[in-house]
Amino acid sequence: VSRLRLVVAEDALLFREGLVRLLAELGHDVVAAVADASALCSAVAEHRPDLAVVDVRMPPDLDADGARAATQIRAEQPEVGLLLLSQHIELRHCLPLLGTPGFGYLLKDRVLHLDEFDDALQRIAEGGVALDAEVVQALVRSRSATALDALTEREREVLGLVAQGHSNTAVARLLRLSERTVEAHMRAVFTKLGLHDDGSTHRRVLAVLAYLESHAPR
Amino acid sequence: MIGMSSLAGRALTAAATVAAVGGLALGLATGAEVGYVAVPGAGLLAVVVAWVIVRHDPTSPVGPALAWSTSSITVVLTNDLLAESAETADPLPLAGLAHEVWVGLWPLNLAGVFALLLVFPDGRRPGRLWAGLPFLFAGAAVGMVVGMWGAGQVGNQIVGEPTGWRRMLALLSMAGIAASMALAVLSLVLRYRAGDERRRRQFRWLALAGVVVVLCLLGGWVGLSAGVGTAVSMTPFLIAIVALVPLAVGIAVVRHDLFDIDRLLSASLAWLMTLVLSAAVFAATVMVASRALDANGRIGPTAAAFVTALLLLPLHRYITNLVGRLVDRDRHVAVQTVERFAAEVRLGRRQPEEVEAVLRDAQDDENLQVCLLRPDGTWVRLDGSAVPEPTGHTIEAGGHVIARITLGWTSARARRRLADLAQAAWVPLEVSRLRIGLRDALDAVEASRVRLAQAAAAERKRLERDLHDGAQQRLVSTGMRLRLLQRRLQRGDVGTATEELDLAVGELEATVAELRRIAHGVRPQRLDDGLAPALEAVRAASPVPLAMAVHDLPELDETRALTAYLVVSEAVTNALKHAHAGRIEVDVAGDEDHRLCVDVRDDGIGGIPPTGLVTLRDRVLAVGGHLEVHSPVGGGTAVRAVL
Repeated sequence: VSRLRLVVAEDALLFREGLVRLLAELGHDVVAAVADASALCSAVAEHRPDLAVVDVRMPPDLDADGARAATQIRAEQPEVGLLLLSQHIELRHCLPLLGTPGFGYLLKDRVLHLDEFDDALQRIAEGGVALDAEVVQALVRSRSATALDALTEREREVLGLVAQGHSNTAVARLLRLSERTVEAHMRAVFTKLGLHDDGSTHRRVLAVLAYLESHAPR
Repeated sequence: MIGMSSLAGRALTAAATVAAVGGLALGLATGAEVGYVAVPGAGLLAVVVAWVIVRHDPTSPVGPALAWSTSSITVVLTNDLLAESAETADPLPLAGLAHEVWVGLWPLNLAGVFALLLVFPDGRRPGRLWAGLPFLFAGAAVGMVVGMWGAGQVGNQIVGEPTGWRRMLALLSMAGIAASMALAVLSLVLRYRAGDERRRRQFRWLALAGVVVVLCLLGGWVGLSAGVGTAVSMTPFLIAIVALVPLAVGIAVVRHDLFDIDRLLSASLAWLMTLVLSAAVFAATVMVASRALDANGRIGPTAAAFVTALLLLPLHRYITNLVGRLVDRDRHVAVQTVERFAAEVRLGRRQPEEVEAVLRDAQDDENLQVCLLRPDGTWVRLDGSAVPEPTGHTIEAGGHVIARITLGWTSARARRRLADLAQAAWVPLEVSRLRIGLRDALDAVEASRVRLAQAAAAERKRLERDLHDGAQQRLVSTGMRLRLLQRRLQRGDVGTATEELDLAVGELEATVAELRRIAHGVRPQRLDDGLAPALEAVRAASPVPLAMAVHDLPELDETRALTAYLVVSEAVTNALKHAHAGRIEVDVAGDEDHRLCVDVRDDGIGGIPPTGLVTLRDRVLAVGGHLEVHSPVGGGTAVRAVL
């Protein structure tokens, strides 16, 4: 577990202060805490942090400014990890980032589960993915049902956790299964969906997300 | 057109004038019988009309022909006068010649009428063959004179009748005259058939005169049979023949659009036929009744009168219809087209909005426009597009103006036709108007529903933001505070834990307050205690003097109470925010029909259009009420909602 250098962008003072204290408590180094989208961009350019934690809805427009700033940061500094925080699932402004390496999207109240939150931060910083269970559910719900109909309930559960960015080990722990069982489920999922599995957690997540993405009923 | 120089026309008419005046002067000078004076005298009218026609169109042969139609009769009469004098002791000049041609000259009586028949109304003939007709007439007339040369007249007896070949010639000439007269009438009929609308109308003037002449003749006969003297009975007939025919010809040529000849003719013909048929029915009934019952009883005439009266009106209606179809075919067909269309609309086979196309067709005016009056006083075309108030023929139904029809081209005749058509078309017009009204109302309802939906969506969005960015944010922050505290306590660091917990509880209280505020936006909580306390809260919150009267409240359900509350609070907000009101009056009361009347008046700047306060109006309409806004610029605003 490494000590991360972070930039926090959040307009609500109460929440920002709480978040900064919480991240410090988790042992991370918050190099800047800002309240709007443009300040976020300049802070990231200045500090080159491992990770930026960004509120989706921020001034000036109080719309999806955070998501747009994230897209811009990704274009200018692809090495900076991005974690978007939101009060509710609102994906339309960050669809291009969804499922790309080093990107996460969590509901704000997930920060209250400190260990999982910290785990997500670490995964993103290492180029992994951290998607909220709600995001994955939203993605799965919007997929053509037929493609996922072939999966058993357990397989769908495993798929969901993998899509959230968890490793086999984490999935096994969360579902209280043996790691071998999880691997077997994943193989079955990959076969049924016709995906290629090369064993790497990150790439596996990406493959699953890409699959979900490409089968979206547009 | 018969080629005729204006000089020739004038010369012929002048000659006819000389003949007429000369004949009259001779009759007066010799103190002859009344007929020798009266006929040339009456004939002068035709001469005068002929001069009017000659002035109007010097090249028209109608003028001279009309002049000669009576003058030729005067010439024959004059000849009679001269011929009669030949056998007296004191013969007039030329009496000898006059006596020789005396009996054979009678075809000259018809010469003028013959010419008139051939050239009326503008000299056109149906074909080249007809050019020979005048020669046939002239030849026959000469033949008659030659055949009857020397024959004389004593009283009503002809003396010295010809024999041998002259008798044959006279008979042949007689046939020739009859044939040429018949052919002249035929040519008139053919020209009528081939003629355009204008010529037909001219013909119809002549026909009208003819019908009236026949009517007068019939009247005369009736008079005679009733025992009225010959002079009284037949005078109308004679006046009609010498006065009406020239007048009709004159009008036809000079001012054929003077009256609606079609109607006059059709009505006269219809009455003529009704009269004849009624007389026939009367006579037949009298006959049958007197034969069947007793010969000298009074039942016969009484029954006849009863039967005739019974039949008269239906008979007349039927005949009018029949004659209308025959004589004024165009108008009749047009009206029937529109009536048929109206019937098809009633049966649901055609759309009432087609009425404009049907009227255009019937009126033969492709620029005819139908405009309908909407209930709000504005005018629209049939497709619903708005137009400024049109001019034109106004159509009313039940005392209200419903439509106006504008003609592309107009004339007295076109306007009369339109009046008839519009009468036949009022049902489709009214239905179209009502449908447009209905569509307007539906559009308004639709728009109101969309606005309500949009308002509801905006309201939900606002609510969602309030919840996400307010209460939810506070709760997460409080959660984080507690988590941090938990970590510190795990490490055994009690430190400022009490203060931290105090802050967390404070946050939770603030969140509860926030949630309460949001919930109040959804539905004012004070409404739980009733409308009056909720309104009292509005009064208490007003920064300017607000006089409120709430009385006689009916039983209110949640929806009505909420709507009334929102009307008051939004109208008050509006008065404060936009109207800069210094004083507001609110009056909420139930009426005898258990409706709730909400009045909000202020002394602000006014100027809200009657269609303003859309959101409020929609709310009120949505619960089946209505809203009136009276807001003259500078005169304050009065909002009245009835729920």
